[in-house]
Formats: sequence, C-alpha cells, structure tokens
Amino acid sequence: MAEPEGRPRRVLAIGGGVALLYGVPTGVGISAAQTLPWTMACILPCYVAGLSLSWHSPRHPVARRLLAAGSFGAIGMAVRLSMGKPPATGWHADTPRAWAFLGVARTFDVLAAITLCRLVALLPDGLVRRGYERVVLRSLWLLVPYPVLLMALPLSEGTRPWLLVVPESWAPGLGAGLLLVRSLLDTRERRAGPAARTDRLWMIALVAFVVFAGRGSARLFRLWLAGKGLNYFIGSALGALPYITISAGLVYAAFRHRLPGMDFAIRRSLVYGVLWTIIGAWYLGMTTALGLTAGQYLPIGLAVLVAVTATMLFQPVHRQLNRLAARRVFGARPTNFELLVQCGTTLEHAYDLKRLGPQLAVTLREGLDLRWVRVRLGPGRVPFGFGSAGAEAETGQSPWGEVRLRYGEEVLGSIEYGPKEEGRFTPEDQDVIETLARQAALAVHNAQLTAELSTRVDEVQRQACELNASRTRIVQAQDTERRRIERQLHDGIQQELVALVAKLALARNQLCRNGDTVHTTLTELQDDACRVIDELREVAHGIHPPVLTDQGLAAAVLSKARRLPLPVVVEVDPSVSSARFAPEIEEAAFFLVSEALTNVLKHARADGVTIRIGRADGSLLLDVSDDGVGLPAASRLGSGLTGMRDRIEAVGGRLSIAGRPGGGTTLRAQLTERSRETAHA
Amino acid sequence: MPDAPARMRIVIAEDHYLVREGTRRLLEDTGEVDVIAAVGTAEELLDAVERFRPDAVIADIRMPPNHHTEGITAAHTIRASHPGIGVVVLSQHANEQYAFDLFQQGTNGLAYLLKERIGELEELLRALREVAAGRSVIDPRIVEVLVGSHIRTVDAPLAQLTRRELDVLRQMAQGKNNRNIAESLSLSESTIEKHVNSTFSKLGLVEESQLHRRVTAVLTYLRYGPNRAP
Repeated sequence: MAEPEGRPRRVLAIGGGVALLYGVPTGVGISAAQTLPWTMACILPCYVAGLSLSWHSPRHPVARRLLAAGSFGAIGMAVRLSMGKPPATGWHADTPRAWAFLGVARTFDVLAAITLCRLVALLPDGLVRRGYERVVLRSLWLLVPYPVLLMALPLSEGTRPWLLVVPESWAPGLGAGLLLVRSLLDTRERRAGPAARTDRLWMIALVAFVVFAGRGSARLFRLWLAGKGLNYFIGSALGALPYITISAGLVYAAFRHRLPGMDFAIRRSLVYGVLWTIIGAWYLGMTTALGLTAGQYLPIGLAVLVAVTATMLFQPVHRQLNRLAARRVFGARPTNFELLVQCGTTLEHAYDLKRLGPQLAVTLREGLDLRWVRVRLGPGRVPFGFGSAGAEAETGQSPWGEVRLRYGEEVLGSIEYGPKEEGRFTPEDQDVIETLARQAALAVHNAQLTAELSTRVDEVQRQACELNASRTRIVQAQDTERRRIERQLHDGIQQELVALVAKLALARNQLCRNGDTVHTTLTELQDDACRVIDELREVAHGIHPPVLTDQGLAAAVLSKARRLPLPVVVEVDPSVSSARFAPEIEEAAFFLVSEALTNVLKHARADGVTIRIGRADGSLLLDVSDDGVGLPAASRLGSGLTGMRDRIEAVGGRLSIAGRPGGGTTLRAQLTERSRETAHA
Repeated sequence: MPDAPARMRIVIAEDHYLVREGTRRLLEDTGEVDVIAAVGTAEELLDAVERFRPDAVIADIRMPPNHHTEGITAAHTIRASHPGIGVVVLSQHANEQYAFDLFQQGTNGLAYLLKERIGELEELLRALREVAAGRSVIDPRIVEVLVGSHIRTVDAPLAQLTRRELDVLRQMAQGKNNRNIAESLSLSESTIEKHVNSTFSKLGLVEESQLHRRVTAVLTYLRYGPNRAP
C-alpha cells in the first residue's frame, strides 16, 4: 500500500512528478510564499532522491519509501492547491468540495509523514528487525484515517491542531528515535564488524541531528503555518532541514558507501548531480522563502534588496555545500598545477626510462581521473620505457585520446589515454597532458642521448682494449717473424755460403795440385750457389712477395694458388684482376689468403679449395673455402685465426669464419677499398 | 740457329756492377758475342739500343729508379720500336706472373730466364740466338710451376675448348709434336692437326706463325690451368 512494488511504484513516481509539475506553478499563482519553500526545500529533495535511488535499486525499501514520501507529499500539496484560493491551512472547510479536497490532502500528508518515519526508523537496510519496531510502525498506519476523522468531528477550530499535533512535524522525529534505539541496541549486542561501526557513527550523528531538527521544527512549524515574518522563515528552514538531510544523506550513503542491500555501480557524476539538485532545491527554496516573506511586509524595492542580499548571503553556503559534496564524492584531487609540479619532479630524475613510464602513467591517471593511461617512451617498435595504469590499458583498446611525444620533428613516444572516470575532458586537462608530453619528450631525448653516449663510450673502450691487445699481438707476431727470418739467414744461407767458401778453397787446392777433380768441384760449387739463390728467393718471398708489389693482389693470389699441391679454383672478379689497392689492403688481403691456404694444407685434409675475390659497395671481398674436415669448435679462436683477424681489423676490415665439423671451412673477409695513392709505393 | 759465324752484337742492362761485369766477361769469353754496351738503367738501355742497334739485349728485370719491372717495360718498348731486336729478360723472380707480363703482347723475340742461368752459359747463348731470330724462350723453372699447378680459373679462355682439344693441348704443353701426340692419344696425325687448328682458331691465334701459335697456345693453357672438370 504505502510501499509500492513494480507498477504501483511507477504510478506513484509518475503521480508525484505530475503533482509537482502541476502544483508548483499553481502554488506560485496562488501564494508563492506559502508553497515554494515547502515544495522546493522538502518535497522536491525527497522526490528527486527517492526517484534516483529507486531508479537504480527499485526493490530496496529505503528507495521505495523515500520516493513514496516525496510523491505523497507532492500529491498532497497538489490536491490542497487545487481547492482554489486561498488554500486551506487549517482543519476546516467551507464547502463540501473543499472539505473533500482538504481531507485528501491531509491524508496524503499523513501518508508522507508515516512513510518518512518508517524510512528513518528502519535505516540503513530498510528491514524490520525487532518486534517493537514492527508494532510501533504498524500502529502508525492507524493515523491514516485520522485527518478525515478529525475534520468530521464537530470541534472548535482552535482545539483541533492541539488535539493531535500535525504528524509531519513529529513523525521524522519518531523515526529518528526508533533508529537511535536500534543502533544503540546493535552496539550493545556487538553484532557489527569494524566496517559497520563507521557507518554507525555516521548514523548516530544523523539520528542526533534529525531528532534535534525534528524537535525544533515541530515547534516552529506552527509559526510557519501562521505565516508570520522572519519566524516563518526560520521555521521553514529548520522544518526543511530534516528532509534535506535525510534525502541528501541517503543519496550520498547509497552511492558512496553502498547502503546495505543496494548493490549497484554508478557514475560518481550522477551522485554529484543528484546531490547538487537536492542542495540546489533547498537553496532555492530558502532564498525564495526569505524573499517572499520580506515581500509580504516590506516595500517592493526593499524586498528585492532583501532577496538579493539573501541570495548573496546564501551563495557561499551553497558553494561550500557543493564543494563539500564534490570533495566527498570525487575525493581530493590535485590541481593541474600541482600535477605538473609533481610530474615535473619525476621527470627531472628521469634518467631511468623504465621507471619513468609507469610513474608518468599512474600520475596522469590519478591526477586527471582517467580510466586508463598508456605511456610509451622512446621511438620505434621497442620503446625504452613503457607504463600503463588502469585495468583497461593492457587490453590494447583503442585510445580515447593520444598525445605524441615530439622533439623537433622526431616522434619519441606517445601517451594514450581512455576517457575520464567522471565528467568531461576539459581543455585544461588537454593542456596538462600536452605539457607533460613535452617534458617527457625532452626526458626521452636526454635519455636517448645518454644511452647513445654510453654505448659509444663502451664501444670506444672495447675497441681501445681490443686495439691494445691486437697491437701487442701484431708486435709479437712481427718479432716472431723477424726471429724466424734471422734464423733462416744465419742457420741456412750463411752456413751455405760458408760451405761455398770452403768448397772454393778446396777447388783452389785441387787446382794447385793440378788435379782433374777441380772440374767436378766447380760444377758442385755452381749448383750449391744456385741452391743458395733459391733459398734466398724463398726467404725474400716470405718477407714480402714481390709479385704483390709489382702486379697486385690477383696476380699474387694466382701465383700462390699455382704452387698449392691440391686443386684450386680461383674466381677473380674481372674488375679486381688488374685493379690496384692501397698497399696495406693488398698486403692484408694476400696475408689472409696465404694464411688460409696454409691452414687448409695443415689442418683441413681437403680435396679442394676455392678462392673468390670480388668487390661490392666499395669493399673488397675475400672468400676462401675448402671441403675439408671443418673447424673443430675449440680451435675457432686459435692463434692463427686471431693473427688473421688482427691483420684484417688493423686495416678496418672484418673477418668471419664459418665451419662445422666435417663440412668444410669458409673464411670470409671484407675490406674497405682504398685505392693506391701513387702508382708504386 | 743463325749460320753466320758473325759474332752477335748485344747490349747488357744490369744495375749491379759485379753482375753486369761478370756477365759481360763471361759472354765475351765465349767468343760468340760482342758486348757493345753495358749499362745500369733502362733509360740508358733504350739509349744504347737507339745508338747501336744490337742483335739482342740482355735486361735485368729490376732496375733503377724504382726496382720493379723496368726490364719488362723496356723490352716492350724495344720490341715495339725495333721488331728485329730480341730481348732476354733476366729475372730473380721464379714467378710465372712476370713471364705472363712479358709475353702479354706476344712472345716473338722475347725470353724470360732466371738470373742464375748466367752460370749456364750455353742456355744463355741459346736464348740470345733464339730471340735474335724472333723466337721465344721461357725458363724451365717457370714451365715446371705451370705444368705442376692444379689451378683452375673460372673465366679461362680454355672453357670453350672441347675435351679432346684440351687433351691435345696438354700433350702439346709437354713439348710433343703432332706425331708424338697422335701416338700417345692413339689418334691419326691428321685428326690431331684438325684439333690443333680448331684450338688455335678458338684461342684467336690465326694470323701468327705456326711455331708462335704453338707457344702461345701452350702458354694460354699453362696460364689458365688445365681444366680438370669432366
């Protein structure tokens, strides 16, 4: 009946809405001073709060009762105003029609009061938990026929109000009292956990306030009804306070703290909107009441002045209330300036982009209240840093907005973000993101420079070490080679020459003795000398092959290949055949080929070798491959190969060795071409 | 071999004094040669050739100022301006690449000998006579290297020869004449002659003398390697 479900509830909601739409203009037409404050400050907040709560949770008793209270109040007001001018305020009506209207209006007022009382008494979950509550609340329904009964009795006009004080003024107080008893009992039974205790504190405060306000209003309501000046206004303000408090408090509690049994997700902006409407309605009702009250007793000019003053006086209160509501609903939020300072400080220490990414994302998300933020720091596919905040950031969702990190023409990353949790994305928010993107771009650029520098320094250090080592190795190799040549000259050729000298002396002796053997000795001598020449040629060739100097790399390699005791295929690019390169290039290339061939002979057990000499993109390409036993993994860095690598790298070339056991070995070198400066060095 | 008992007039170019004088004494000692000039540089050699018009020249391969291959350059110059004068290049390099360099524009009237052949006087005199007669000599050591080599180059002109022609050419390189080749390959001499002629034409040796063509063909064969591919 009074707590309608489904269709009746909808009827009630529509009825309340229609009543408000009809009652407010009508009331303003008849007597704005008497209708607007009540409507705006009490009925409208209740109705709006009830409507919004039951919209989201239709079955919740609290929502239903709030809506019912608002709607009953609205209907009651509308019916009373339909009686014509002036609206009956007492308990007596002149005509039967007015009498009927008055009875209906009073009945609805009582209904509204009962509903409000039940509502308050059964907070927070709206369920009857104790026997006494059921008894008290049910007995309240007995009051419904009371106004009609009272009007029917032939009583004097003065006694009727005193016989039973108007239920609207005491019913909320009764509800509050019941609630107080209920929460005290709950506390004693210690049934509630720590989370509920916070709610209880809030409830107790509410109860105290409602009791107080209800009491105060109950007394002053009579003054309001009498419609007398300032007292009337104070009465209406205090009388309205319980309504505004209950409706605003319930909306806030339901959406912010999840009123028990009310389980729904809701945009905070809606909560804020409803709160704003309630507070706004109350504000409007209060100022209107004051202005109209003044208009009844003061000249029109002064009344306007009073109204304007009242508006201005209440404006700060209104603003403060709104701010308070916003703060409570949205939580504390840093200003854009604070956000910039905060992020700026982060960025100042942004040498570590891996940490910067998440920090930036989290700060942006929290600061601007975005649903998600994805930050990519660094150009290309592999960013230096990456950060995301918000559950939806990882799902690869297409961004709501994107700001690119730019440094000059270069794009150094991006900030992608989803929509705001609440409210619109303002130009100020855009400014904040863009400013941060500029700062982040600078940080990325710096980090890039630092990384590059550190890579270069590492490279230079590595090269320096390698250079030192290879220089040492080259010097050692040279020393070894010099010792070898010295040994060849001393132990080989010099000894041969000494032998020649000895044989010459022998020939002389044989000649003196006029012997016939001198001819044989001289022939031997000539052969010996030829052998020395051969040996000397070998030594000289070992030091430096003259054909390399005289005819270049291709001729030297061909000549070397011809002396190899196994089949060789030589492929020389026609453009290399007659080309001459800088002596160090030719020497390094020839050294490589000849060392490689030596290795093939010594280790590879190959049946054939292929030598390729080509050129491409300003590089000389050498390739020596055999079909031998391949390279055992361990010997890959043997001293011979290291020596070759040193020689090649000393002239700025690169050497690669590919080989697997049993699959032959391929040695590949790439040398940057340098042409000869003079025809012959 | 020239029948005339007239002594050959030759010029020696050699920068090393002892070698130059030793060679001169050795040659003059034979009584077959007149050393009309002995000079130390290529420039002086060309000058002496212009003045004395010798029958043949002995030139060291390395001479001032650069000590590279001035002898070969001089030989080419002499052959170009005086086709009648033979040049024997004495070289300390037992390297075929120098011989190829010398013979790159033709083998007529040119000889490539290792320096130690000075000791083998008969060899030296034979070479002088050959070049003076417009023929060619190449040191056995060089031929030895070429014949013994297992090299195969990819861009060889020999690639266009048939297998049979290559067989014939290989026999030719061993110094055999057509009859000997026919014997060792069990073919008729006329068939061999046909192969030889087609080889010459494939190698572009149509206008030269028969003997010179043989030498060049063999040199080509030796230079680019016996193609052992089946």
